[in-house]
Amino acid sequence: MAAIVEGIGLTKRFGTGDATVVAVDAVDIRIEESELVMLMGDSGCGKTTLISLLGCILTPDDGELRIDGEPIDPVNQDLSVVRHEKIGFVFQLFHLLPYLTALENVMVAMDIARTKTDEAESRATELLTQVGLIDRLHHRPAQLSGGEKQRVSFARALANRPKIIFADEPTANLDSRQSDNLMNLIQELRREYQTTIAIVTHHEGLKENADRVIQMKDGRIVPA
Amino acid sequence: MKTLFLKDMRYRQTRVVLTALSITVLISLILLLGGIMNGMRIQARQYVESTGADIWISAEGSGGAFIGFSMVVEEYMAFLNSARGLTPNSASPLVFAQARPTVRGKSTKAIVVGYKLGQLGGPKQVIAGEGKMFTPSNFEDYRPEDPVPYEVVVDEKMGLEIGEQITLGNEKVKVVGKAESRMFVLDTPLLFMDVRIAQKLLLGNTPHVNMMIAKTDKNEQPGQVSAGLDALETIEARTLKQTLGDIIAYYVDEPMKAVQFLRVMLWLVAGTLIGMITYVTMLEKTQEIGVLKAIGGSNNYVMGLILKQVVLISAVGVILGLILSYVFAAAAPIFVAIHFVESIIVACISFVVCCGSGYLAARKAITVDPMIAFRGEI
Ligand SMILES: Nc1ncnc2c1ncn2[C@@H]1O[C@H](COP(=O)(O)OP(=O)(O)OP(=O)(O)O)[C@@H](O)[C@H]1O
Ligand SMILES: [Mg+2]
Repeated sequence: MAAIVEGIGLTKRFGTGDATVVAVDAVDIRIEESELVMLMGDSGCGKTTLISLLGCILTPDDGELRIDGEPIDPVNQDLSVVRHEKIGFVFQLFHLLPYLTALENVMVAMDIARTKTDEAESRATELLTQVGLIDRLHHRPAQLSGGEKQRVSFARALANRPKIIFADEPTANLDSRQSDNLMNLIQELRREYQTTIAIVTHHEGLKENADRVIQMKDGRIVPA
Repeated sequence: MKTLFLKDMRYRQTRVVLTALSITVLISLILLLGGIMNGMRIQARQYVESTGADIWISAEGSGGAFIGFSMVVEEYMAFLNSARGLTPNSASPLVFAQARPTVRGKSTKAIVVGYKLGQLGGPKQVIAGEGKMFTPSNFEDYRPEDPVPYEVVVDEKMGLEIGEQITLGNEKVKVVGKAESRMFVLDTPLLFMDVRIAQKLLLGNTPHVNMMIAKTDKNEQPGQVSAGLDALETIEARTLKQTLGDIIAYYVDEPMKAVQFLRVMLWLVAGTLIGMITYVTMLEKTQEIGVLKAIGGSNNYVMGLILKQVVLISAVGVILGLILSYVFAAAAPIFVAIHFVESIIVACISFVVCCGSGYLAARKAITVDPMIAFRGEI
């Protein structure tokens, strides 16, 4: 199988001198097409930093990164293009734009990718229908429950048909019922779109949904 | 989604409206101040130009007619009437003095213009159907006691009725006619009367006038004629052009320097205001900007969203300011003349200033680190 994401010797340090923290320490990682991986580990072990590196939001101090087979050159490449063309993000705190409806929040991602408005609207409607929000299209985030907001986030992450979705603790702000619903939805979406998904989570209970669990400790990947 | 920025603006509509209104008020102030100065310039010119005189003569050392205190002995009239380069017998005596007549029981500002009826210096006739000119005295008949009745022709805009009396000094003067309005700077009305009466009421009945004015011969250069007369040791001579320059500098440009400065300051205020509001708004939106960048929005994309808002708010503010300035000008208690072309230029500059400072604020705002999307509230 082809690797969607491949990192070799990825290293990220924060701070200088005595205060230097090696958040991600020479990590080699490979995520295969259509895989659902869970990234687990203690707080502060570097999970968020790692997916930020893989998602081209942070640039590594060392190491190499390939996405969809293409090497990423953070110096000469506009990473924002890589992010909206190849990657979808779901955040713990949802981060929907408060002044937009659910529909518009999904459309924004496509607006960034310069999709025509009517095309974006029909795709956003389709995605929101799929995540079960057909009757919430014109609700603002403030009018949605946490679980609904996170489903809008997934719809947004899927909007540009990404190669991979990175979700950082998507269930942390949801109760267990909402969290189960979301996992079911993720499975469903994965079957439908064959999207590769990497989820950071603390919930041991979610492990069973994963094809593979990657365990981290002190900035390194350790055997699960 | 071309309307994304509009949705953002609607979400924060109170702030958007207040910002646009602040700009509106500032721009209309800038335009009004300019309009007031224009109005003063127009009023400074209009009487001087209406006299038809080419040469203005005042006392040596007065700095020019209208500028300093000037008393010229009447004897110069004879000399001027035969002076080379001047139209024969065109020389006219002129009293031009600030006065405080009592009008309907109220002390009012006015300027008394005393001239020889039929000569340069004042109207030859009243507005049709608005009374008659004052009774002229015989100027050459030296100082008879109470030569003619005390009569005055007033500016039509003073709102006085024919037959009404005003008090000037200790004397009652009768309004006999109305002249076409030619207010002096800051809406000061002119009171036209016979030069002998003006001398009696304002100059202590001395054989002096404040200035003498004359026409130059058709084929003479006013500049040369004026220079020739100015060479005399007891008088100063100026051309019409010089006089207008003097009067505008003295009555408008110099006293209004502070206002000019204020106008520039107001631009700074408008620019700072929109820069500040854009920046503060963007600080609040740091998270949103971070998220937009995280999900793949380029700096230019985010910049576009912000700038569209800045441009729209600035444009609305400036256009409303332009409109409002005309409304204010019409309602202002003094003469305000807003130049259309000038106001368009001012509006354009203001627009550029507002957009420029909005741009600077936006440039600072888009440096947000997209990692903020993962880190949440800080
Ligand atoms: N901008 C930064 N400056 C300095 N140190 C940082 C910065 N970002 C992260 N770190 C440090 O890097 C380490 C890894 O952080 P990271 O957020 O990746 O951990 P995490 O595994 O996601 O933790 P959690 O489960 O609590 O979210 C931590 O020790 C953190 O303090
Ligand atoms: Mg984390």
